[in-house]
Order: sequence, then C-alpha cells, then structure tokens
Amino acid sequence: MLEMKGIDKRFGAVVALNKASLTVQDGQIAALAGSNGSGKSTMVKVLAGLVAPNAGEIFIDGEKKIIHSGTDAARENIATAFQDLSLIPTMSVKDNILLGCEICTKSGMVDEKTSRKQVQELLDRFHIDCDPDDYVQTLMPSTQSMLEVAKAVFRKPKILLLDEVTASLHYDEIETLFGIMRELKAEGISMVYVTHRMNEIFEICDTITIMRSSETVISGQVSEFTLDDIIYYMTGSRPKHAKAKESDLSHLDDREVVVNVKDISVYPKVKDISMKAYKGEIVGIGGLEGQGQPEVIRAILGAVKPQSGSIEFMGKPVKFKDPAAGVKAGIGFISGDRNKEAIFDVRTIAENIFAGNSAKESLFAYLSARKVRQFSEDAVKKYNIKIGKLKDPASSLSGGNQQKLVVARWIAMNPNLLLLDDPTKGVDIHSRQEIHEILRECAANGMTIIISASDTEELLNISDRIYVFYEGKVAAELAGETKTAEHLVSAMMGVQESGGKEAAE
Amino acid sequence: MRESLRRFRRKPAFTGCILFLVVLVLNIVIQGWSACLSGGVTIGNMLSFFQPTALKSIFMTNLPFILVTVGQALLLLVGQMDVSIGVQIALVNVVCIMVPQEWGTPVWVGWLVAMLAAFGISALCGACCAVLRLPALLASYALTYLVKGINVLIMDVPQGSVPKTYWKPYQSSLYGLIGGKDAPAFLKFLDYIPVAALVLAAVLLIWLFISKRPFGKHIYAVGTSQRNAFAAGISPVKVQMKAFLIKGFFVGVAGICLTLMSASGNPLQCEEYGIKSLSAAIIGGMGWGGWGSLSCGVFGGGFLVLIQNTVYYFFTLLSKIFTGFSVTSYWQNFVSDIIIFGGLLMTIVTAKEQRKTLQQGLKAQFKRGEKNVQ
Repeated sequence: MLEMKGIDKRFGAVVALNKASLTVQDGQIAALAGSNGSGKSTMVKVLAGLVAPNAGEIFIDGEKKIIHSGTDAARENIATAFQDLSLIPTMSVKDNILLGCEICTKSGMVDEKTSRKQVQELLDRFHIDCDPDDYVQTLMPSTQSMLEVAKAVFRKPKILLLDEVTASLHYDEIETLFGIMRELKAEGISMVYVTHRMNEIFEICDTITIMRSSETVISGQVSEFTLDDIIYYMTGSRPKHAKAKESDLSHLDDREVVVNVKDISVYPKVKDISMKAYKGEIVGIGGLEGQGQPEVIRAILGAVKPQSGSIEFMGKPVKFKDPAAGVKAGIGFISGDRNKEAIFDVRTIAENIFAGNSAKESLFAYLSARKVRQFSEDAVKKYNIKIGKLKDPASSLSGGNQQKLVVARWIAMNPNLLLLDDPTKGVDIHSRQEIHEILRECAANGMTIIISASDTEELLNISDRIYVFYEGKVAAELAGETKTAEHLVSAMMGVQESGGKEAAE
Repeated sequence: MRESLRRFRRKPAFTGCILFLVVLVLNIVIQGWSACLSGGVTIGNMLSFFQPTALKSIFMTNLPFILVTVGQALLLLVGQMDVSIGVQIALVNVVCIMVPQEWGTPVWVGWLVAMLAAFGISALCGACCAVLRLPALLASYALTYLVKGINVLIMDVPQGSVPKTYWKPYQSSLYGLIGGKDAPAFLKFLDYIPVAALVLAAVLLIWLFISKRPFGKHIYAVGTSQRNAFAAGISPVKVQMKAFLIKGFFVGVAGICLTLMSASGNPLQCEEYGIKSLSAAIIGGMGWGGWGSLSCGVFGGGFLVLIQNTVYYFFTLLSKIFTGFSVTSYWQNFVSDIIIFGGLLMTIVTAKEQRKTLQQGLKAQFKRGEKNVQ
C-alpha cells in the first residue's frame, strides 16, 4: 500500500502542492485527476524522486520512506512513465529500456545477448513494431510513448506511475496498454494513472483522487462518481451542457473567402491538400497523428514552403518567405508545443503577452514600460489568466495558463486569420472551455480561425466545418449533419465514405 | 552484408571514417609520387608511405594529438569539453622531466607523479564543469591560463632530457623492440608495426573494456539529457566526473608519449591542441552531447594529422616538378587549414545525410502505421 500525506511543495512564491495526499491499495489502479496546474504531475514527480517536497511523508506498506532521487525511487520499486518522455533520443531502443538497470555478466560487462532477448520479449508484449537497435529519435511519437511505458514496466515495479501516457496513443495501442495494465493489476501491482481523458478513468481505474489548485479535494471509488461529479470537483462548478453550435452552410458562397489553399504538397507528409476558410468561420482539421496537419498550417503561415500548389490569402495569391511576413499580412499562429514555439520561459509574463505586438513594430521604435504593462494587464483580466505578478517569469504558470497567455498574445493583435495547431494538447477541461469561448467570440467578431486538434470531441465542439486528413490528402469534409463522431472517426481511419464529402459540396 | 553496410552508414563515425580513408589514399599517392620523382619508379617508392621509418615517424609524432582528441571526444559525449587539454599534456611533460631531475628519483616515479597530475587537473576541470556547472568552454579556457602558470612555475625555460633507454623503444618499431638486427629475420615484418601504434591500440582496448560496461551506455544518456538520465536513476555528476578522470588517463598517456617523442621538456607547448582536438572530434562526426563515439575521435584526429602530412608532401612534389619552386611553411599551414575548414563545412553536409537516414526511418514507420490502420 502506498500513502502520501500532507505533501507540500513550493517553487518560489508559487504553491504547487498544499497538504496533498494520495492512497493506493495493492493491486489497484488509482486515477489522479485534476485541471492543469492542479498539481497532479508534481505529485508524480515527488514519487519519482524528481521533485523534493518541502513537507509531508510517504509510506510504503506502512513504512516511512524518503525519496530524493531517481535512484531512491528505483530502490523502493517505483517506476514512472513520464508525460514528457524520459527516453534518450540518440540511444537505441534496447539501451533506452535497459538504461540504469543494465543486464550484466559476472565480470560486470553488459550482456548484449540476454539484453536483446529480454527487450524483444518486452516489445512483443507491448505490440511495439520496431527493432531493438533502432534509434528512438526515428520512431513515431506514439511508439515512443509506448516505449516509455514499456521501459517503466521492464523495471518490474511494485508501484507504477503513468503520467498522461495515452495523450498521443492510437486506439489499438491504448487497448494493448489497458490489457497489460489489467495483467499487472492481477499481479498485485499498484498503479497511479494520470489522465485528462475521462472515459479512460471509468474504463480502467478502481479509485479516483481529484486535485484542484494544489490540494486534494476528494477521493473514493470510481463507481461512486459520475462524469459531472468529476468535472464539478475539478473545476468547482457544474458543467453546462451547451449544444455545439450548428453552422449554416447555405450562405457560405456569399461569404468572403479568407484562405484558399489549392493542391499544395509538402514533402514528405502532405500530398495534395485543398481547403477553404471563410470569414468568421472556425475550420477544424482532424486526422490521426502525422497525416500532415502541422505542415499545412505552417505552410499557410509561411514557416514551410510547399513544393507545389498555391495559397490565396484575402483574395490574393501569397508566398510568404518566412512567418514574419505571414504575421505582417495579418495571420496569427498558436502552437500546441508551447515550450518550443511560443513561450519565452525566463522572460516576464508581461513581455510574453506583448511579444507579438513588438514584432509588428519597427525594430528601433520607442517602447515605454507603461505601454507594455497596460497592454498585458488588460489581457490578463480579459482572458482570466491566473498569474502571480506580471513580472514573474512565464515558466511560473501552469500549462493551461501558459496557453491562455499565448492565445491572448495573438488575439490582442486582432489578426484576420488565426491558425491553431493542437492548441489544447495537455490543457485541462476548464482552461480548454475558456479557450473555446474566446475563440467563438473572436469568430463572431469576424476573425477566421483554422484549428487542428487531436481530440475528436473538441474538434466536433469547436469547429463549423472539419477537413479530415488522411495520408496527406483530404479524406472528408464534414459539416452540418455529417459532422458527427462516427463520420469523423471513420474518415480518420481512412475508411472510404460517400456521405461526408458529397453533403459538403 | 548490405544490412551491415546500412548499419554502418547510420553510425556517427561513418563520415569521419570516409574522410579519413580519402585523405589516407591521397597521402599514399602523393607521397609515393614524390618519392618516385626523386628515386625512380619502383614499387617500394610508390608505397613509400608504408616504409617502416615513415610509419614510425608519423605515429610517434602524432600519437599525443590523437590521444588528446579521443579524450576530447569522450568529454563531448557527456556534454562537456576541455580546451585546456593541450596545456595539460605540457604539464604532464614538465612533471615527467622535472621530478627525476630535481628530486633525483627514478624516471618511472616521475611518470607516476605526472599521471597523478593529469588526473588531478582533470578532476579540477570536472569539478568546475560537472559539479559547479560552470559553462565548460569558459571554465576550461580560464584553466588554460592556470595550467600554463603552473607549468612555468615547475619549469621556467625548455630544458631537460630523458635517458635513451626510455625514448628509444617508443621511437622504434616492434621489430626494433625485440632486438632489431639480433632478432630472427623471419620476424622482419614486425618492423611495420611502430610501438607508438601499439600504445594507441592498448589505450583503445582499455576504452573498449570500459565502454562495454553500463558506464558506456550512461555517457550517452547523460550527454543527451541530464534530466532524463537522472530520472532513470543515473547520477549525471558522477558519470561526468568519471568521464573527466578517464580523460585524465588519456592526457597522462599523451603527455608521457610527448615526453618520449621530444625527449625534453617545454612548459608552453601544445596549447593549440585544445581547440584543434575539438575541431578534429567534430570533423570525426561527434555532436555536442550524446552523439558520436570514440572512434570519431580517432578518425578525426587521424584526418587532421594526415592532411598536414599530405600537404607537406604535396609541396615537396611541387618543388620537384617545378624546379625553383619554394614557399615558406606558412603556406603549407594555410593550405592545410583551408582543407580542415572544408572538413568542418562537410559536417553540415553529413549531418544532412544523417537527417536523411532519419527521414527514411520515419517513412518506414509511417508505412507500418498504415498497415495497422487497415
């Protein structure tokens, strides 16, 4: 049995955990749910030894344990599959799985033969289709996620921590994973399962612990909760069952075409994509991971150059030489990969919000501190971003709030076209809804929005029209009555369907 | 066969190996051509590169640099570097000379103290870079001046000597080592194996032994991502310190070889090895942290050595073809430096090549994914 009691953790002024607690019985799967920034990931990191808590106690089978490093965690038979992956991209699959627990011969040399055999068995068990000698960086994100779990399971832990491992997995991979989790459960292994996907909690978990703003709110058997209950405890308010906005396609022809993408191809993923977006419309892009969604969005922005085809923006053919040109022409871009493409970690929140604006002005234009402050204060208030001080670094914010900050940055510039590449990846339900509301409001005011999303439900909710990509081509265009989960999923899987496209044309 | 070739092409040492082989062939041809012009066209002259004296000389004079490059490659693997590595072998050199000279101890005691000095200075650099986490470039650059100061304190002007019984074996071939003319004639072929080459092989064998232990995997993990290595239960500080100490071993051996090669001491030599070894390792195919292998260091170091050798023979050849042609050695350095610069530029091309293989890997993955869908 694992017990965490009264765990406190502060990063400077930001409280990440406040008297948080968690209990997992042997052979049970405990869901750990909560909005982004509620402290779930920090709890996992405390157990994994990556974060040392300021106060609190951890008991395993009634004995008090101190876990201050990955080595300590390994000694207590705790293994973790991290959300942001802990694989080493430049090492082979085999070396990654065995990292830190190499199989050695008596003389202390690595036993390559036994290693290979055991790794191959593990890969077979997880249905991972790759060679033990492949470099991890050449594998698909979903395969890497599976490897991350396989690596943790290989350590034969008594306590297994799974932090949002299903985020980029395909359906069949999730099935495999759940099968293995059930096997492990039968072996008496305790598991902590962190996820944003509610249906997974009901499918696989025994107990649930819900966290909100750094505190443990409630815990109990999953069977005692309904979906509404969980969302209530996560957000503090009952969810509104607003119906997705129905769009009216009949007037489309009258409306101004803002973007007209014709037959573009981008090596190697995009083969032939044509799509249109009208003024004031939210266009969704759906599809399995890696079907060319990010490439098309970046081609419109000018970050990648298509090999063929043309792009018209506001009625004129354009060929942006870089994203700066695209931004100048009135395009905004929000990436789901916050760290890489949007947030300046160590700069202040105010500077982060203002960043887009300053790119618009000339390089040596005078910029007063007051102007920056005023601008960002307004944005923080308007979009309900939870911050400490405007002067705090952006890294002090939680994932959801960082994303709201990026959204605020771009919307404040009032672009004609806003491109979003999976903007709510890893963002909690509450922040997600807030971002959706902001986007709807902008569309109502005449902004055109193109959004790609990996979550089918989100895609159906937010978009007026959906293009589904498959193998670098548009497999279906869904709108109105064809815009249903069944159509979307079957088009994503490449199942030829007559209904979708005809109805849209 | 094709499979193993494909695997080799994916290896980081692939480009370094190709560059090395190209310049090796070039060297053999130009050196042979030059010898043929002065001594007549014979098989022996054509392959004058392989003459025992030439082989001995090239291995003997360049072994210190190659060892230093291998040490630098190891540091690059764990995400560190040490530009003071050049003056460190000068430190080993002066300690080797001065300890016997001043204290009257046997020569081997001097070597032992010198090895300890190499370990000590590497541990100091490691403490600055790995424990205190100072940027490696700045910390080791500052150390250059510290070490140079120590060197001059120990030995103010170039001086000293090494007994012939010590340097003679190092400068000879295996045939010379087992007795030269006194040895049986059928062992004459051993003349083609310089002792310096054996030293290199021995050091690399020791490394091979170390690399087959878990440590050999941990260096890659730490070099790529300290956080992920830490999460896997590996201590990045320990691994990096170990790497610095092993580099200390390389530096110690290199310094002793330098002493045996010059048979005297000089406190201010080899400073340029610090940066040169870095560029050699990069040409050999090393990346900054977690990408490469020590063979990259061997090939890169060998490439630099052979380029200088080739350019020297190229100019001799020119002076033989065009009588009266003569230039200063500055021109030779200029030409070889341009070629080295070209080699560094080549790493961009090769990085592209590696990205291509990556892309092919990705494509194969997608094809598999499509299979699963249907």
